[in-house]
Amino acid sequence: MMWAFRGLRNGVLTTRWPARPDGYAASTRGPATVLAPASQPSPPPSQNGQASLAGLCPAGAISQDGQGAVALDQGRCIQCGRCVAARPDLFGWQEGPGSAALSRTGLVVPPVAETPERLAGVRADLRARTRALRRSVHLRHVDAGSDGTEEWEMLALLNPVYDIHRLGMFFTASPRHADVLLVTGAGARGMIEPLRTTYDGMPHPKVVIAVGTDAVGGGLPGSSYAAAGGIGGIVPVDVWLPGSPPSPFSILYAVLLGLGRLPAQAEGGGTR
Amino acid sequence: MAAGTDTILGSVPALWDEVTRRVAAGCRFADLFGTAHAGGLLLTAHLVGPAGLETWQALLPPGAASYPALTPRLGAAFWYEREIRDMFGVVPEGHPRPQPLILATAGDPPRPGSGSPPGAAERAPEVLPSHVAGPGLFTIPHGPVRSGVVESIEYLVETPGEDIPHLNMRVFYKHRGLEKRFEGMTSSDGVLLAERTEGIATVAHALAYCHALERMAGAEVPWAASLVRVIHAELERLACHLDVIVRLADGAGLAVATARFGWHKEQVLRLVSQLCGSRFGRGVVIPGGVQGLPRVAPAELLTILTGLDRKLGADLRVLMGTASFLDRLRRTGPLPPPRAHEHGALGPIGRGSGGTDDGRAARPYDAYGSLSVRVASRPAGDALARLEVRVEEIAQSFHLLRQATDELAGELAGGADGELGGAAGGPVRVPCDPAEGRAVGWAEAPQGEVLYDVSISGGRIARCRARSASFHNLVLMHEVFAGDILTDFPFIEASFGLSLAGVAR
Amino acid sequence: MTAFSAVFLAGLALLAAAAVTDLLGGVRWRRLLPVPYLAGAAGSACVAVAGAAALAGQTVALRDNGLLGPGTTGPAADPLSGLFLLIAFGAAVPVSAALASWAPGPRGPRRRGLAAAYALALGAVAVVLTATDVFTLLFAWESVTLAFYLLAGFRRERPRRPASALITLVFGRVSGVCLLAGLLLLASRAHSLALTSLAHVPPGALRSAAEVLLLLGFVIKVGLVPFQVWLPRGYAAATGPARAIMAGVAVNVGFYGLWRTLALLGPPPAGVTGVLLVLAGVTAVLGIAQAAVQPGLQRVIAYSSVENSGLILAGFGVALVGAAIPNRGLLAVGLLAATLQIVAHTIAKSLLFTASAQIQAADGTDNLDDLRGTIRRRPWSGTGLAIGSLTLAGLPPTAGFVSEWFLLESLMQQFRVPGLGDRLVLAITGAAVALTAGFAGVTFVRLVGLVVLGKPEPTGAPGPRDYGPLGRGGVVLLSVACLAVAALTPLEIRVIAAGLAPVVPSGAVMSALGSPWVLQPVFAGFSILSPSWLWIVMPALFAVVILGAWALSGRRLLRVRRVQPWLSATAGVSGRDSYTAFGYANPTRRVLAAALHTQVEVRDIGGAQHQPLSEADALADEVGAEVLPDEPGREDGVAAPGPHIWYRSDVIEVVEQYLYRPVRRPFLRLVRLAKRLQSGRLDAYLAYMLIALIALLAVVTAVH
Repeated sequence: MMWAFRGLRNGVLTTRWPARPDGYAASTRGPATVLAPASQPSPPPSQNGQASLAGLCPAGAISQDGQGAVALDQGRCIQCGRCVAARPDLFGWQEGPGSAALSRTGLVVPPVAETPERLAGVRADLRARTRALRRSVHLRHVDAGSDGTEEWEMLALLNPVYDIHRLGMFFTASPRHADVLLVTGAGARGMIEPLRTTYDGMPHPKVVIAVGTDAVGGGLPGSSYAAAGGIGGIVPVDVWLPGSPPSPFSILYAVLLGLGRLPAQAEGGGTR
Repeated sequence: MAAGTDTILGSVPALWDEVTRRVAAGCRFADLFGTAHAGGLLLTAHLVGPAGLETWQALLPPGAASYPALTPRLGAAFWYEREIRDMFGVVPEGHPRPQPLILATAGDPPRPGSGSPPGAAERAPEVLPSHVAGPGLFTIPHGPVRSGVVESIEYLVETPGEDIPHLNMRVFYKHRGLEKRFEGMTSSDGVLLAERTEGIATVAHALAYCHALERMAGAEVPWAASLVRVIHAELERLACHLDVIVRLADGAGLAVATARFGWHKEQVLRLVSQLCGSRFGRGVVIPGGVQGLPRVAPAELLTILTGLDRKLGADLRVLMGTASFLDRLRRTGPLPPPRAHEHGALGPIGRGSGGTDDGRAARPYDAYGSLSVRVASRPAGDALARLEVRVEEIAQSFHLLRQATDELAGELAGGADGELGGAAGGPVRVPCDPAEGRAVGWAEAPQGEVLYDVSISGGRIARCRARSASFHNLVLMHEVFAGDILTDFPFIEASFGLSLAGVAR
Repeated sequence: MTAFSAVFLAGLALLAAAAVTDLLGGVRWRRLLPVPYLAGAAGSACVAVAGAAALAGQTVALRDNGLLGPGTTGPAADPLSGLFLLIAFGAAVPVSAALASWAPGPRGPRRRGLAAAYALALGAVAVVLTATDVFTLLFAWESVTLAFYLLAGFRRERPRRPASALITLVFGRVSGVCLLAGLLLLASRAHSLALTSLAHVPPGALRSAAEVLLLLGFVIKVGLVPFQVWLPRGYAAATGPARAIMAGVAVNVGFYGLWRTLALLGPPPAGVTGVLLVLAGVTAVLGIAQAAVQPGLQRVIAYSSVENSGLILAGFGVALVGAAIPNRGLLAVGLLAATLQIVAHTIAKSLLFTASAQIQAADGTDNLDDLRGTIRRRPWSGTGLAIGSLTLAGLPPTAGFVSEWFLLESLMQQFRVPGLGDRLVLAITGAAVALTAGFAGVTFVRLVGLVVLGKPEPTGAPGPRDYGPLGRGGVVLLSVACLAVAALTPLEIRVIAAGLAPVVPSGAVMSALGSPWVLQPVFAGFSILSPSWLWIVMPALFAVVILGAWALSGRRLLRVRRVQPWLSATAGVSGRDSYTAFGYANPTRRVLAAALHTQVEVRDIGGAQHQPLSEADALADEVGAEVLPDEPGREDGVAAPGPHIWYRSDVIEVVEQYLYRPVRRPFLRLVRLAKRLQSGRLDAYLAYMLIALIALLAVVTAVH
């Protein structure tokens, strides 16, 4: 009885996001991004700027092509902050929860000139597949070699601040009941078979979300004798969510993106 | 604080003799690992005694395929020798269960320290033989894909129905090969990988790694930086202990308690992200100091902490008075104190079974030497005792946080502005970039003591051994099911509070 | 001799021919092995037809007039006899067919005698059911006991079979002695051996004592606590479908005796009814508690017989209460419930033992843990096992559901009983019966879920197949009977009403038919049930749901993608990885620890390579299974250390442990003492005879 009254003390703690904006969500730090790419020209490669720029990133996310255009693959960004600290004119943090993308190449900033038809095709296919999952969806998580933080961020979705039950989402234990598969971790080789078994055990239609930089691009463990460099080669991934770890708002954004439940303006104008 | 002796003994049996002699003299067995060496396989043992950490080594000649095992003489080496077998392919003769622990493949062993990366090999998991015989027994495989959002491990529960006479574990699913990944990294990049070894103890692992480097380079961390380190370490401890409480309340079905403590944990993580931009304190601790000062002024930080302490303390008092909850924990998962002492159990598991060792008090580092650290200890050894230890440590953490914040306020008032010190050599860090050397660093993570044994040559890491408390403690899971049934399993697992990423690495 | 009497005689003659064929022919020619059983089937069919004729009112009598001895009259069937003849021999026909199919198989009899014992059993049962005088009844009763002994001890080379057969014989003789004493007491007062004349004995201490002795003799046969210890042993010791003859067909003689006693002598003295009711409840609970935790299939089914005896006797107890008040409705509902349960039990028990015989013969083991997924390898036996289990668990729409409903309804009529003592006893028994129904669900779910439907172990050779066409026909006939009898319950009640005419007027029983398809527990306005409607509505609902699912799924209902069952994506374990039958019974062992005296043994055996399983080995030997040692583990030739802990959980038979074991020693001492009389000297025996003759003369002279 005493617990029932304790629960009423602090009123409503739940965020209204995505229906209403949330201050913490807007200030969520996402992966690093390239600032205002056209504002200033980068030093040409002959001035050993290429080596130093690419060498800034311990995970190999930064690349510079022949013309000196800098590109940052957010799918490899481990949020260490070195590039932002070294070149605050060129790199900054992407704020907000909208870091997920529907294609792997969509995670590269500045956005590659992707044919809008292909992206629209991917989006339409996903919408058609998830038509039955709009209002209520069950999530199944598989840990394929994560460091433990992504699981904390996913469990945070169940606390009263985020409360995914209000959005009709539930975590389930059996893959037979699951619609969405959330995979974390760099694809430890010991988990390849169990991950495939879980994926096969889920009925169609299903959506696979790679949660975290480790799952998207391998992160620091990378590709070695023990890790597969991300889960992209193990199961077909529908939504790529970078972040080390991604915040709960980002995970929520990714799930809603996968289900086609985001309002149009929140989807960033269709470039991801 | 002393690094202890660092001699290489003549043979492996001599090393075991020395180790068992030191353990009998009152030291605690802390670590045993191998390094691929020019002269063969270098076996290193760490012991922690009243005088601090000691290191003992022996060399196994090249081409030796086996050595006499230490486990029959010292049970605490059970998993360490299995790991050596997985990593190097040498068989410990006389080991009661030489089955794969963290790597189950049928290929060349990775051999950390050798610098050469092994190729990917075929998975060959072995079926563990049954430990219990009798009519009608069967084994429930629980994992690796378990129910709920949890890390991957397989528990094999040999049971006749509800009782649990024996529990087996297979932990090789999550092996990421981090000890090989360390090789070849620069020392500044190494701290990034150390943070991600056991993500929920990010700050503790980074601290242990940086202590090793600072000891190697002889660097003295500035006072403000050591205070910031303490603040982040204690906030991390709060988050981990609150996570354990959330899991226990969830297992007992106390929905309101689960929700409230989940909210408190979220507040702690949001506070950490306010201080440094990352919810887990990533990027704060670097060799030589910290990346920058907290982005919240000490006075405001103190206000936030006081409010959090008050709310959390009230909820904890009610939780520790909920009889139905305490009944689930009392006498569940008992770890007898003699067994805990013999094994050298770390962290709240050890202190919940009568242990009194806390790295912050016994071997102080950073600012802990100047702050008063009281060791929380309970004699009962069951899940309730471990929870009581954690509750006391939460109160202790708030106390330490207040002290550190006050000291930081005083330090900053007498110094320059408190924003991000961009250049090297500001008030928050000193240069620390050793090119050669070997040292051991430690820190007290929320799960227990973390040891890092780092060897650097040519400016790059040659061998970095990351021994987390989870690896040392998880083996005790075999022994705490005395008369418990399947429904007690979540409580026992949650009361251990370990991270499997640190076990399988 | 009327036509149906000739049919009855022909039936008896066919049974005799079956015995003779077996004794003369033996097992030399395998092709001729089914012949005795086929003759037995034909004989049973004749007897069943005669029984149906007797029910319909035809005269079925073999005039004897002293052929078997002075004062004896030949067997004759009145409606009560006809009812039991129909029930017992109707079930004996498919069982005989199954026996004919099983006998030539690899587990069939290896020497002559089984068919002779089987024919003796059936013949003796027929004579008991139609006996009209004391001597014929007792002679046939002893023949039934002898037949049970022969059937139980047929495989006497196996361990523990001789002991089981001996216990069967002992209890059978004890029941015979009780019957002898009771009947002779009555006959001495009635001055005639005819059973009908026993009804005219004036009420008094003698009549009450005789009635108690008769009841005692009959309940020993059916297995009331504390006499139930021989039932599981005896039934499990028999071979093959002969168990069905013992447990399904022949056990009805005990119930017939109880019904006949009630018809002839009326209700027993007041306390006896209460004791009977309480003991019936205890029997039911103990029986199902043991059945729920047994590791062997035959034992589970045998203990279920004990449970059903308890249920039937509970209904009989209600009838006794109704007879004592007197309340005709209560008498009718009690007898009706008990008779319905007899019908359901006969069919289902025969089906269960028949199906399990083939499963055991084909798989070579009786251990529930080793019998998994039988429906895939032996579909006919497996389905039979499933339907029999559902019937005894009392699930709609089987016959067991109707009978248990009637039984509970009859016990619920306790508010119509005036006395508080009777009400209390009826309430306690009702609670026990309800508890039994719950645990019967647990017991039979274990059978159906794990044995019939479980995941089959990958075994090497497929082994012999299921029953041949004869056996399949038998199993199908019994299964269809389980289900059809439920659908045709109104017809069944009419038949039973005709059969119970000697005990209670058929009008009282017929008032259980509220309207043509709706049943009520004899008293109107209490509650109703319509199994016939259930048989229409349940399949219709099932069909509606399937159609709805098919339509709503966009006609994709049958597009199925098959994957491995979900086991947490494990890499494999040594031994079994899912619930065993033993583990499934664990909660029952714990919850009913008071009734079962569960004991748990956990021992450290420190890596010994193979620990012999003492009790389980012995049990396995008893039922002829193979005992496989625990596999040590690895395939690379290096023997891994064996198990370190030995865990065992066991139950004990409470009655045997606390009632019979303590008296064993003084009893054997008494026997040794009495053995002194058997000195082997001729002059001692002649002296005994002289003393006995003088004593008899003295008594006779004193009486007159």
